[in-house]
Amino acid sequence: MVSQQIVNGLMLGSIYMLVAVAFTLAIGVLNFLNFSIPGLFMVGGMAAYGGVKLGLHWSLAFAGALALAALISLAVERLAYRPMQGGDPEAPLVSSLGFLVLLENLMLIRYGSDQQAFPPLLADMNLRIGDLVIGMAQLASLALSIALVVWLSWFLSATNSGRRIRTVAESGETAVLLGVNMSSLAPRLFVGSAMLAATAGILFAVNYQQVSPFMGEGVGFKGVAAMIVGGMGSIWGAVLGGLLIGMIEVLSISVIGANVVNITVYGLLLLILILRPQGLIGRPPSREKL
Amino acid sequence: MTAKSAQRSVALSITGLSKSFAGVRAIDNLSFEVPEGRAVALIGPNGAGKTTVFNMVSGVYPVDCGTIAVNGVDVTHMPSRKRIAAGVARSFQNIRLMAHLSVLDNLLVGQHRRNASIAAMLTPYRLVPSHRWKREALQALAESGLEAYAKENVGALPYGVRKRIDLVRATLAGANVLMLDEPAAGLNPTETNALRGDLQALKARGLTLLVVEHDMHFVDSVCENVVVLNFGQKIAEGPLSTVRQDRLVREAYLGVEEEA
Amino acid sequence: MSGYLTGVLVTLSFNIIAAYAVYLPIAAGQLNLGIAGFMAIGAYAAAFLTNEMSWPIWAAVLVSAGLAGSVGLMIGLPVLRTHGIYLAMATFALGQVISAVFLNLEVVGGAAGYPVAAYAPPNIVFAAAAGVVGFMLLLSTTRFALYLTAVKSDPTVADLLGVSVRGIQAAAFTLGAMVAGFGGALYAHHYSFIEAQHFNVMLSVFPVLYVLFGGTQTVLGPLVGALFFTLAPEWLRASAEWRYALFALFIILFMAARPQGLVTMSLFRLFGRRKPQVTT
Repeated sequence: MVSQQIVNGLMLGSIYMLVAVAFTLAIGVLNFLNFSIPGLFMVGGMAAYGGVKLGLHWSLAFAGALALAALISLAVERLAYRPMQGGDPEAPLVSSLGFLVLLENLMLIRYGSDQQAFPPLLADMNLRIGDLVIGMAQLASLALSIALVVWLSWFLSATNSGRRIRTVAESGETAVLLGVNMSSLAPRLFVGSAMLAATAGILFAVNYQQVSPFMGEGVGFKGVAAMIVGGMGSIWGAVLGGLLIGMIEVLSISVIGANVVNITVYGLLLLILILRPQGLIGRPPSREKL
Repeated sequence: MTAKSAQRSVALSITGLSKSFAGVRAIDNLSFEVPEGRAVALIGPNGAGKTTVFNMVSGVYPVDCGTIAVNGVDVTHMPSRKRIAAGVARSFQNIRLMAHLSVLDNLLVGQHRRNASIAAMLTPYRLVPSHRWKREALQALAESGLEAYAKENVGALPYGVRKRIDLVRATLAGANVLMLDEPAAGLNPTETNALRGDLQALKARGLTLLVVEHDMHFVDSVCENVVVLNFGQKIAEGPLSTVRQDRLVREAYLGVEEEA
Repeated sequence: MSGYLTGVLVTLSFNIIAAYAVYLPIAAGQLNLGIAGFMAIGAYAAAFLTNEMSWPIWAAVLVSAGLAGSVGLMIGLPVLRTHGIYLAMATFALGQVISAVFLNLEVVGGAAGYPVAAYAPPNIVFAAAAGVVGFMLLLSTTRFALYLTAVKSDPTVADLLGVSVRGIQAAAFTLGAMVAGFGGALYAHHYSFIEAQHFNVMLSVFPVLYVLFGGTQTVLGPLVGALFFTLAPEWLRASAEWRYALFALFIILFMAARPQGLVTMSLFRLFGRRKPQVTT
């Protein structure tokens, strides 16, 4: 029974992990707390649902959902990130939240506010190990999430583009001096982070077989929590945070009850922020110069 | 010189001060004194550690070892916020006026040290026409001939004007020791003259000045003494004319433009 | 007054109170994303006092506001050690934890919600909102308000000028929590029913939008932001289902054009200077 919970926790955690990595790319490199990410997560799930419902093959529906999320994210870069450079640090928050509200309401107009059932793709294929039941969809999602993160981590450390991104993360000014072209790098990062969020949304839809215009809020905010618990700006921090938050959520539901999830999850976040603000494996921020 | 300073009390005294950043000695066993009412310049090549000294005296950086005393009070471990009450205020190399506040409001924040009670904080002074706080700040501005800028937003003002307003703000706390970080840098000759006038007026009021400055003509016209730093160590001290002849000082400045 | 108009104005009043609760800490450079938690404390405490202790509404509301403020101070002190985005997330987590605690607190109804017997009519709500605005306007004429901006603008220099940065921030955070608790307490007594699910993330986030949209540089920004956010969707009522989408689109385009918000210092100066030019 406990091992079943651990499997479920890992599954949920891998979704939080993808969302957390999406957030961490935006904040670690561009210093932008991008609240449109929960919206892009939802677009991933809802557009995939819409495509499948139209009779498209699931692979086409998924590709369409990813492409749509990428396009929207480019709009976010143009309208919410770029005009805000050099202004109040809180201002981009408003517009990225604006995107969340906009996307939710557009989906609401198209599909209504109810939960929609997402058709099972790999329904009857389950792996049984003793009492443990692992759905093939679960296993595939877990493998895909981990593969994505491992690839991203390799990309950032081993390729030229990746090194450029890490230079920007260290110091935007230095990066510009070294000839990094921010106006071409930022849109690519937005697309990358949108793909991660939308992939997470599709995996969520496939695994939990339900979608709704508001599915992004709960998952998105826990993704932020995961990012901070692990350590803002660190990919492996986001992985650790995501898995930890997923575990805690599943275990507190099964041990105490669904109503305490927000107490345990956000209580942990609060505790981490007070005791170790840089997160479990993050670095403390540097001191200002006069 | 020693005979003279013995007659005056010491306003700022630095003894055996050291500071390292990531293993590199930025300040190495530095000692000097600024007598009450005098102006001393802290000079040296870029990276010699001048601003680091300011940052330790004002409490932005903790010291590794050594002591700092202001008006005879040991402030070495005093929180930065309380040092202005001990009597030391400063200006900033890269002017740090508050961008969203007007010139007048910046000066009102500068008065805080003398109006720090809860009652003062909650007085609706803006409702009182020409409240004494506003009058006082305007008068300080007028003394530097800057009263026309009182209502302006600081962000829009010319560099030289902002620099001098930064100085006026530093004087409003009522501290008797002022540390000025490159006050003349970036000023045109007219503004430099105006600044010289400002500083001489402050000296006439009995204030003690510690100035970091590269313009040696300016130093010569304002400061009685200089302390020369190189790689965090004091290599010379005394009147500028004497120090100029020093071999170590000449070597330190070799390759760096020096006005003779 | 028609029922519809009264309803809109009551919503407006609560939005204005919430906006000022967020404005106080934002003016000092702290983004509070957990204001709903303090509203919940005010709402539940006041409802408990009138329901179970038979207190009069006014006393219950004031004491609950004070209680929300004290909780804000107690939790705020450790939370305020963090800065920027960390502080925003800490307050966000705090808001979530507080409303989840009420979800599990059976003495005030738990997940089933908590009916409130005593009733505060619309006029009381209007007067309360007017009172909060008046209080904020008065506060904006003090050194305290000046220091809020100073601390936000440059905390290092404010500290070197002798201003207690943590003291000012803690005071702003506490006052904000108090105003939020005040609003929550009134909310409970006007709508006669509260449930923990109401005090969710969006309830915390929307007032932040009002304030950032209206602009944080002046005391009028939150008022204008709350007015706009409450009334504009009402005007868009004709296109019922599109209104929030259109509204969100407008916000995005507006912020792209004017990131500093609607009401700014330079706006005042612009008008202040134009007038004499026109007359001469």
